[in-house]
Amino acid sequence: MSRASNTNTSRVARSKGVPFSKNPVLAVRLPVWRSRVVLFVLFAAFAGLGARALWLQGLSTQFLQKQGEIRYARTLDLPATRGKITDRDGQVLASSVPVKAIWAIPDDVQEAPPAKLKELAKLLDMSNADLQKKLDSDRGFVYLKRQVEQDVADQITKLGIDGIQTRKEYKRFYPQGEVTTHVVGFTNVEDAGQESMELAQQKTLVGQPGSRRVIKDRLGHIVEDIESVREPHDGKDLTLSIDSKLQYIAFTQVKESVEKFHAKAGAAIVLDVHTGEVLALANWPTYNPNDRSKLTGEQLRNRVMTDTFEPGSSLKPFTVGLALDEKRITPHTMFDTGNGAMVIADHVVHDTHPHYLIDVQTIIQKSSNIGTSKIALGMPPQEMWEMFTKVGFGQQPKWGFPGAVAGRVRPYKSWRPIEQANMSFGQGISVSLIQLARAYMIFARDGDIIPLSFQKVTEAPHGTQVVSAKTAAEMREMLEMVTLPGGSAVKAQVPGYRVGGKTGTAQKFMNGRYSQTKYIGNFVGMAPMSNPRFIIAVMIDEPGGPVHVGGDVAGPVFSALAANALRAKNITPDSTLTHIIIPDNAAQEKM
Amino acid sequence: MSGKINLVLTALLVACGLSLVNAQYQARHLFIELERTQSQARQLDIEWAQLQLDQSTLGKHARIEEIARRDLNMTPLTAARTQYLTPEGSK
Repeated sequence: MSRASNTNTSRVARSKGVPFSKNPVLAVRLPVWRSRVVLFVLFAAFAGLGARALWLQGLSTQFLQKQGEIRYARTLDLPATRGKITDRDGQVLASSVPVKAIWAIPDDVQEAPPAKLKELAKLLDMSNADLQKKLDSDRGFVYLKRQVEQDVADQITKLGIDGIQTRKEYKRFYPQGEVTTHVVGFTNVEDAGQESMELAQQKTLVGQPGSRRVIKDRLGHIVEDIESVREPHDGKDLTLSIDSKLQYIAFTQVKESVEKFHAKAGAAIVLDVHTGEVLALANWPTYNPNDRSKLTGEQLRNRVMTDTFEPGSSLKPFTVGLALDEKRITPHTMFDTGNGAMVIADHVVHDTHPHYLIDVQTIIQKSSNIGTSKIALGMPPQEMWEMFTKVGFGQQPKWGFPGAVAGRVRPYKSWRPIEQANMSFGQGISVSLIQLARAYMIFARDGDIIPLSFQKVTEAPHGTQVVSAKTAAEMREMLEMVTLPGGSAVKAQVPGYRVGGKTGTAQKFMNGRYSQTKYIGNFVGMAPMSNPRFIIAVMIDEPGGPVHVGGDVAGPVFSALAANALRAKNITPDSTLTHIIIPDNAAQEKM
Repeated sequence: MSGKINLVLTALLVACGLSLVNAQYQARHLFIELERTQSQARQLDIEWAQLQLDQSTLGKHARIEEIARRDLNMTPLTAARTQYLTPEGSK
C-alpha cells in the first residue's frame, strides 16, 4: 500500500514540475550527533582492529607460532644402527635388523571386534587369553610384543585395529649362534650389550641417533625440512680377531670331547703367536644367543676367561725355564728323583712312577713333581714370584674383555718351602686358561710376551722380554719331547707336524681340600714346532670316565684341534713324511 | 616516460612472482624425489644387512660340514693321504 502511495507522490511531484534539489524530503535536517556517532563507531572499529593486530603480531606471536607449528611441524627421530660384528675375514657374527615393537592403547583396543583380536593374537603368536590379560590394564600404553619381524608387523597393521601402534626398533641376529657366542656376547631388547664383546665395545658399537624437524601435510607426507638435519651416526663395525673356521673347529672338538669323557665342561683357546690375537675361544656347555629363554648360568659361563683353576703340571715349564735362564741348570743337569716320594717338611711330594736319576729334559718329559720341586727349592721364592708375575699370573688382564679374572699368586714372603715346591708344579696357584695360554708365549716366541687382543691386529705388537731366546729354544725342545714316545702326552701328536706342549692334571680344590675324584685335565701346546704359529690350550673340567689325566683327556683334543687348524691355515708340514704316526683314532676319519 | 618504466617494472615483478612460484613447485618436487630416494637407500641398506646375515647363516661351517659329509660323501683330508710337493730350489 505504502509503496504504491510513494510512487504516487513522486509522480505527482514530477508532474508538478518540482526539481530534485527542491524536493521537500531533502530539506529535512538530521541532528549533527548522528553522523558523529557513525564516524566514532567506524573509528572505534578501526582502532579495535589495529589493537587486535598489534596484540596478535606483537605480543602473542610466540604462542601462536608455537600452536601453528604443533599442527604441521614434526620432529622425526633418526635412529642409528648398531655396528656389525664380523670375524677377521669379514663374515658377519652379529648384525642388527629393523623390527617393530607392537604396542596398544588398551581402552581403544577393547572395543575392537573379537574376531579381529583373535587374528591379532594368532599373528602375535600368543593365546587369546594372554592377549586379553595384557589388554586388561589401566595404563594407556602396553607393549603387546617386542621385536616382531617386519612382515608380521605389516600384517598386524593391515588388520586396522584402533589403538594398535608400532614402534621401530632393532633386533640383533647372531648367525653363528652358539659357536661364537662366548666371544661375541649378546644385547638386550634395548639394544644394549650385555656380555662379552657386545658389552666391552658398547660405546663404539652403539652409534649416535639423529633427528630432523619437518613440515608434514595432512596426509603425513613430508613437505620440507625446517631446520638443518642432525644426521645420525651409525655405530662403528667391529672386526674381531676370531677366525670363524678355527672357532668352529675348536667348538666341535671341545663339544665332542666333553661328551666323550662325560665331563662337566670344557674349554679351548687358540692364540696367534705372532700377533697375540685370539683366533678361537670355545666353551661347552654353551647357549644360543638368538633364543635365550632357557639360559642358565652354567651355559653363560665363559670358562676360558672367568674360571680359575690350579693348572697342575702345565706350570712346570715356568720354574724350569727360570732356572735355565739364570743358568742354575742346563737341560742335561742330573737330578735324583728317588723312588717317587720325597718328604719336604712333613709333606710328601709324589711322582706317578719312580724315575730315579734323570736329567732336566726328562723331568719335563715325564712330568716329575720331585724333579721340579728340587729345581724350585734351589731358587729364592722372590725370583719365582717375579717370573709368575711377569707372565701375567695373578695380574688383572687388560685386554678389554668383561669379567676376565686375575687368578691368584700369593705374595712370596709367605711361601713355605712345601708351598714353593707345590707351586712349581702348579698347586696353590690359580690361573685362568687364557692366562696360561698367554704365558706360553714366552716359549713359543723368542722369550718375550705380548698383550692379547680380541680385535684384529694390524701391526705386530712389541713384546716384553722375560727369558732369553736361547732358554725359549731349549724349552721348546723339551716341550716337544713331551709328545714324543716316552712323554706324558703322546696322544697330543699331530700327524705330519711337530708339536709340543705340557699336560696338567689338577685335583679340584673344593671345600678347603683337594678332591680325590674331581679333576681338571688341561694341555697347553704349540704348533708347528719348527716355527710356532698357534698356541692352543684345552681344559676339560671333571672328566667322569676312567681317564682323567690331562694327557689323556685334553691331549687328544689338542691333537685334533691342531691338526685341523694347521690344515685349515695351509701350514706346510714340518715333520718328515716317513715319520707319520697313524693316530689310533683313525677310524674317526670316515665319520 | 615514467609510465613506461612502471609498465616494465610491473611486468618484471609479475614475471619474478611467477618464477618464484615455479621454483617453489620444482623444489617441492625435487624434495619428494629426494625423500623417496633416501628411503630407498635405507631400504637397500637393510636388505644388504639382511643378505649379509643370510650369507653368514648359510655359510656356517656346521652346515657346510654336514652337507659335505652327508650329501657329498666327503671326508677330511689327513696328512697320511696327502702328497706334499716342495717347489724346486726352496729346500
